[in-house]
Amino acid sequence: MKTRFLLLTLALSVLTITANAQSVLGGGQVSGNIQIDGQISRADSVIGSSDVPSKLLSNARADILYTNGAFSAGLRFEAYQKPMLGFAPEYEGQGIANYFASYQGERLSITAGNYYEQFGNGLILRTYEDRYLGLDNSLFGFNVAYRPVTGVTLKGVLGKQRFYWEKGAGLVRGIDGEVSLNDVIKAMAESKTRITLGAGFVSKYEDNNVTIISRVDDVEGVQYKLALPANVAAGSVRMDLSHGGWGLQAEYARKSQDPNKMNQYIYKPGEALFLSGSYSQKGFSANIQAKRVDNMGFRSERNPNDKTGQMLYINYVPAITKQHTYAFLSMYPYATQTTGEMGFQGDVMLKLKKETLLGGKYGTDIHINSAVITGLDTTITGGMGTNGYEASYCALGDLYYGDVSVEIARKLSKQSKLTCTYGYVVFNPITEGHAGHLHHNNVVVADYTYKINKKNVIRFEAEWMGSDSQYDKNVDDKRAGDWIMGLVEYNFTSAFFVSLSDQYAYNDGVGNYPSINLGYTKGATRLQVGYGKQREGIVCIGGVCRQVPASNGLTFSLTTSF
Amino acid sequence: MKKILFTLAFAVMALGAFAQNIKTLPENITIKALDGHTVQTSAIQNDGKPIILSFWATWCKPCNRELNTIKEVYEEWQEETGVKLVAISIDDARSAAKVKPHVDGNGWEYEVYIDQNQDFKRAMNVVNVPHTFIINGKGEIVWEHTSFVEGSEEEVYEIVKKVAAGEPIE
Repeated sequence: MKTRFLLLTLALSVLTITANAQSVLGGGQVSGNIQIDGQISRADSVIGSSDVPSKLLSNARADILYTNGAFSAGLRFEAYQKPMLGFAPEYEGQGIANYFASYQGERLSITAGNYYEQFGNGLILRTYEDRYLGLDNSLFGFNVAYRPVTGVTLKGVLGKQRFYWEKGAGLVRGIDGEVSLNDVIKAMAESKTRITLGAGFVSKYEDNNVTIISRVDDVEGVQYKLALPANVAAGSVRMDLSHGGWGLQAEYARKSQDPNKMNQYIYKPGEALFLSGSYSQKGFSANIQAKRVDNMGFRSERNPNDKTGQMLYINYVPAITKQHTYAFLSMYPYATQTTGEMGFQGDVMLKLKKETLLGGKYGTDIHINSAVITGLDTTITGGMGTNGYEASYCALGDLYYGDVSVEIARKLSKQSKLTCTYGYVVFNPITEGHAGHLHHNNVVVADYTYKINKKNVIRFEAEWMGSDSQYDKNVDDKRAGDWIMGLVEYNFTSAFFVSLSDQYAYNDGVGNYPSINLGYTKGATRLQVGYGKQREGIVCIGGVCRQVPASNGLTFSLTTSF
Repeated sequence: MKKILFTLAFAVMALGAFAQNIKTLPENITIKALDGHTVQTSAIQNDGKPIILSFWATWCKPCNRELNTIKEVYEEWQEETGVKLVAISIDDARSAAKVKPHVDGNGWEYEVYIDQNQDFKRAMNVVNVPHTFIINGKGEIVWEHTSFVEGSEEEVYEIVKKVAAGEPIE
């Protein structure tokens, strides 16, 4: 009821402003986008898909945005009837999931309603949405940004987070400031060295009038009740420095005592450090990154009733592994362990010049990437109600994930291009919450594109993965074993495509996954229809992952924007 | 149910009021230049000449193919029409630090900004990348397309030529 009233007010104000705007400011603009995804899946005992009682599953959403000069207002309608496989059942239903009104002036921006905001890299605050993950942790409340002078930005947030169709219980408040020294210090205006500094503070309030028993002393029969902090604070400082081709970015964040379900109610403060250094010039670049995360899961509820474990995150700790796009290289993706991890990554891109011995007639691109992620080296010092553990700053814990990949892309002729990739991936199932030994996988990919003429393009992709993992009925991980894959894709301009593919576990695994996909694109409208089998797996975006069960049948997706 | 009707009514009214809906670039959305300092989207200008605005990400293969393909002909396009390509990266914290090395490593001469919080992406109703817009000298969005395959850059250029010559696009 309350929501409807708010909505009505918002809509009325929009209409009023629109009416005025027409005479005063001239007409505004209406734009939006719509996406409708659907799925019909049938049982297949081999791949593990089951019958869907409602036959059809669908996720749909429409964003409508009205803009008039500095003013904008929008709303998003979402419908999950019923949610597609892999999306949280809590989404079932339909309605206005998100709405806002906003003024974006040159110096001042104010948004009321649902909004997305980020401080620095997001180590203490990042609200975002990802429709493919079924994730939306937008804040509902007020968001203000003020730029008193060029180069200085001050931001404030206040609100509660979206929790499926409800709001989370915790109240989130935050402020952030960023200053670009080259803009505010006259002497540095022309300097080749560019420096931006920033700092932020976030506080969460949640009622602490709940009882959590830490332990029961059997001898005395005494119960120990946890004293929960009602307010949890987090702060961060950051720097972005560049000098010509050199760049350095750093962010350090700390969080006060935050006993919660995720960290098993320990009182250790949280910490996170993110470092990135790079050098680049035309045709060459190198980048190294490091991060250390310790007990930095920051959510607006201590113990949300959320099976996926994705909702109500206030902060975002990015994964620093490469986001692989080939199927087998991304078969075992890495998910950030916010409770504790250390990670390193190196990335080199190199262009071999054309008309050289190594570069060939058209030049060659080489891309090398490697990442290693480990747990922290910890010593347990107590359980619930204590600091929990001590973690070494420098020593590495168990290996969670490691990979190295080399990609070589070369234009062979005016019509054809070949990309060859080799990758090696070590994966620890503990990162997905299962015990088990490390998996070691070798992956080889060949990707060949041939442009028949101006309008017709054909692409072939072949992949192989050799793994030391074997399919085990008890674990039932259908990714295990050795795999091969083939794909043929034919494009008629950018308007139409058809692709045929098959993934097959030829050794130590189970399953054969043929599929066909058809697509049609016109302007900003795209329709895609697929039929076939889809392996159960994990979809990850930015280190946040979603489990997707196997499916067998038809899928379709329509997107358009206007 | 009421909510749906309400939304629809709202949408229809809004759409009805502005039948001749000419879309322009939003002005005051904050994005980051590659050297880390923030600018407003009003900084996207090309002296009355056409702009190709391309939303991309470091991890998006078709985006990279599009920007690499246009790279081969970019100089020619600029000489003939004065067009400028502005590439908006939607990389988030995971890969935003890699955008500059990625751009340099590929040898792209485009004007590149990072839309890390994806405010610009949302304002432009971009659902998937690549999503490419063509903007005329008056700042109006005259054409848009999502997805890329080799060869479709020529389609883009046909439109750019018309826009540069002030001809209508059918």
